[in-house]
Amino acid sequence: MPRFHFHIEENGRLIPDEEGQDFSDNEDVRREAIETGASIARDVFISGAADRVVVDVREEDTPFLKVSITLDVEEPTES
Amino acid sequence: MPSEAITTALVKRLRTSTDLSEEDIKAIQALPIRVKEYAAEQTVVRDGQRPTECCLIVDGFCLRSKTITSGRRQILSIHIAGEIPDLMSLYLEVMDHDLMTLTPCTLGFISHQAMRQLYRRQTNVGEIFWRDTLIDAAMFREWIVNVGQRPAPARLANVIVELRERLRAIGKVTGNSFDMPLTQEQIGEALGITGVHANRVIKQMRQDGILELSRGRVTVFDEFRLMELADFDNRYLHQSPAL
Repeated sequence: MPRFHFHIEENGRLIPDEEGQDFSDNEDVRREAIETGASIARDVFISGAADRVVVDVREEDTPFLKVSITLDVEEPTES
Repeated sequence: MPSEAITTALVKRLRTSTDLSEEDIKAIQALPIRVKEYAAEQTVVRDGQRPTECCLIVDGFCLRSKTITSGRRQILSIHIAGEIPDLMSLYLEVMDHDLMTLTPCTLGFISHQAMRQLYRRQTNVGEIFWRDTLIDAAMFREWIVNVGQRPAPARLANVIVELRERLRAIGKVTGNSFDMPLTQEQIGEALGITGVHANRVIKQMRQDGILELSRGRVTVFDEFRLMELADFDNRYLHQSPAL
C-alpha cells in the first residue's frame, strides 16, 4: 500500500509529516487532503494565526497533490 | 477471576460519585458476571442488535460510535474499566450505536434479568445506576459542546483532561502520565477532524511543551497551559455524591 505524507504550511511555516499514512485509494487521499485543509483553515482563520493553509501531499518523495486555501476578506475603504 | 476483582473498578468509581453502602457493594459483588476476553477493535454490541446483557469493562478501553450512511464514523465516547457503557440497553431494547473494544479487554456480562432483580430487591442500587446513566448523559452534553464549539487543540485538550479525571477515580493515573490508547485516526473520529489534522494538533501540543501523546500514552508537561487550553470544568462529571 503506498504511503502518503501530508506536509502542512500555515503562512509559509512548514509542519512536516514524517510518519505518513497508508491509503489504498487515491480518492481517499484527495478527500483527506481537502478536509484537512478546510479543517485547519477553520481554526487558524478564526484565531487569526494564519490566512493561508497549504496541504502538500507526497507519495514518498513525489508530489501527489497540493491543496491551497486562502482567506480573503474585502472591506470597503472609507472615502 | 475472583468476583471481587471483577467489580473492583466499578465499586471504586461508584464510591467516588455516589453514596454507596456496604450492603449495596455486597449486592453488586454478588451479581452473576460472565467474564470474557476480547481482542482490540472487536465489536461487542452492534447498532440494531437486541442485547440481553449489560457489559461491564473489567479491564481495558472501549468506545461507542455511530457510522453514517456514507461510512464515516463519529466516536461518541471513550470508556474505561469500571464503566457499563451499554447500561441503557436494560430499558432501550434495540442498540442505536456500536460498542467496541479499543484495546484488548476483559469484559464482564451481566444479564438484564439479574440487573432487574437487583434493582427490585435493592432500590438504592437502582438509583445509583440511574445517577450513573445521568452522568453519562452529562458527559455527552460536554462532548457536543466540545466538537461543536471549540477549536481542534481545545477539543483534544478537553478530551484528554476528562479521560484523566475519570482514570484518576479508578487509580489509573501515575504521576503526570496515563493511557489514552487511540490512534491518530481514532482521535480524528472523536474530535470530528481528519487524522492528519489530529496529528498536526498533537505535534503542536508537543512543540508548545504542553504534553506528549505517543504510543497510546499521555504525559503532561505543563498542567497550567493544558487546563487553560482545555477550558475544563469538572462539575459535569459529578465525581462526588454532593455534586
